[in-house]
Amino acid sequence: MNAIEVSGLTKKYGKVEALGGADLSVREGEVFGLVGPNGAGKTTLIKGLVGALRPSSGEARVMGLNPLEDRAELRRRIGYMPQPPALYEDLSARGNVGFFGAAHGTRGLRKKVDEVLDLTDLSERANDPVHTLSGGMKRRVSLACALVHRPEVIFLDEPTAAVDPQLRSRLWKTFRELARGGATLFISTHLMDEAMLCDRITILRKGTIIATDTPRSILERGRTHLVVKRDGAEEEKTIGGRPDDLAAALRPYSLQPDITAIEVETDSLETVVLSLIEKEEVG
Amino acid sequence: MRRMLIVAGRVVRQLLRNPRFLVLSVAAPLVIVYLLKIFFDTMPVTFDVARYAVPVAAFLVHFLAFLLCAIALVQERTAGTMERMFINGFRRTEIIAGYVLGFLGLATFQAVAGLSEAIWLFELDYDEETLATLFVVVWLLAIASVMLGIFVSTFARHEGQVFPFIPLIILPSVFLSGLLVDVDELPGWAEWLGHAFPLFWANDVIQEVIQSSWKLEDVQTSLAVLVGYSVALLLLASLTLREVE
Repeated sequence: MNAIEVSGLTKKYGKVEALGGADLSVREGEVFGLVGPNGAGKTTLIKGLVGALRPSSGEARVMGLNPLEDRAELRRRIGYMPQPPALYEDLSARGNVGFFGAAHGTRGLRKKVDEVLDLTDLSERANDPVHTLSGGMKRRVSLACALVHRPEVIFLDEPTAAVDPQLRSRLWKTFRELARGGATLFISTHLMDEAMLCDRITILRKGTIIATDTPRSILERGRTHLVVKRDGAEEEKTIGGRPDDLAAALRPYSLQPDITAIEVETDSLETVVLSLIEKEEVG
Repeated sequence: MRRMLIVAGRVVRQLLRNPRFLVLSVAAPLVIVYLLKIFFDTMPVTFDVARYAVPVAAFLVHFLAFLLCAIALVQERTAGTMERMFINGFRRTEIIAGYVLGFLGLATFQAVAGLSEAIWLFELDYDEETLATLFVVVWLLAIASVMLGIFVSTFARHEGQVFPFIPLIILPSVFLSGLLVDVDELPGWAEWLGHAFPLFWANDVIQEVIQSSWKLEDVQTSLAVLVGYSVALLLLASLTLREVE
């Protein structure tokens, strides 16, 4: 069964269309990335899936449940980490995690709070008020709040925004561990190196999905620039982004002694995504 | 019920974790009542202190309970914790009832402290029944104020938007509730408008019970209206607080 099914989901705020007919499905246990620039509709889509907003049309299902009609059951099975930390600054990390865990009637709450604080590396500062913690720590507290009740589907809205590279790497390790444990992760990001860490990604532009695939397949939609240098002269070629395109392009040059260097420059995921977005805008 | 208690517990823990806020919200009315005493001491001896002392203490509790609750709830919205509560399964009635319960402790403390100081400073001599009724009416007013704060908070997107409601709701309540002048002396429409404010009903009870002879029947209607006011505001706030965008 798919963990998430979205069909024709739209959301309009007056005349502004924040989401224009999104269709996608996410498999159970998948780490799914929602990629797009600011204002692409990533948060709107996530809010539609967690039941925080009423879509203008279309349908969404999470674990087969309607986010609005089946909200009582759904909310026990999902975890949500919003873009701002959304924490009680006067309370401790433990107080915040305990509060949101208690909302779900989580059994053995004290133990689970300790476990999730350990998972997010917060045990040492667990009793300090949140306002004394750094920005990165607050994000980890926010993540712990989303995980404490052991949800099956976890929605993370730009979880690593304004986070240093070291912490980002740790958070992604945690996301992978959660997926290995069977959880489905739906993560929005505008960072392409993070998108590469997802099993599949969907690219959103102005509320419209323009591509959904594995990061590698999306990369293959890009181009490779090839520069072959021989006898002081340079031959330039632009080929497709697939590995066999490169092999085919290099075949004619095989081991010719006058070739002094071969430079290969492959489009980054960011370049491919930007060109897909541009193509959409032109087309 | 369980989630309502969870919200109330969290509100109380937040208040206790913020001693500066707690001390200010109780100390401020005490200081103002003392300033009132200094001001009233300059009045001629014929001036009826009792007519104003207790109602002013009640007004201070009303104003602070309204303002603190409204701001606390708006902060929930701006911080994103309100939305997070909804997504974690809290229902709006559970949040509102939890807030009322959480703020009730503070409002009760304000009511007891403010009234005790006014009675002590102004040397007011009331029998036990009158004192009990005064505490009950100020307490009910505090509950209505918390409800009013919750209701108003649903119209404000940030803390700054709470302040325009002060001249809109609190100041007319001072002028039209009978606190400064008898409502009979106001134009008909203003007298009618005064009935819309909870302070009017609280003041009605206070003025009645500080007379030397009074019976419960004289004040039960106003007490019932005060309770009704809280229930009506609770329902209105429940309707205006949106769980889904």
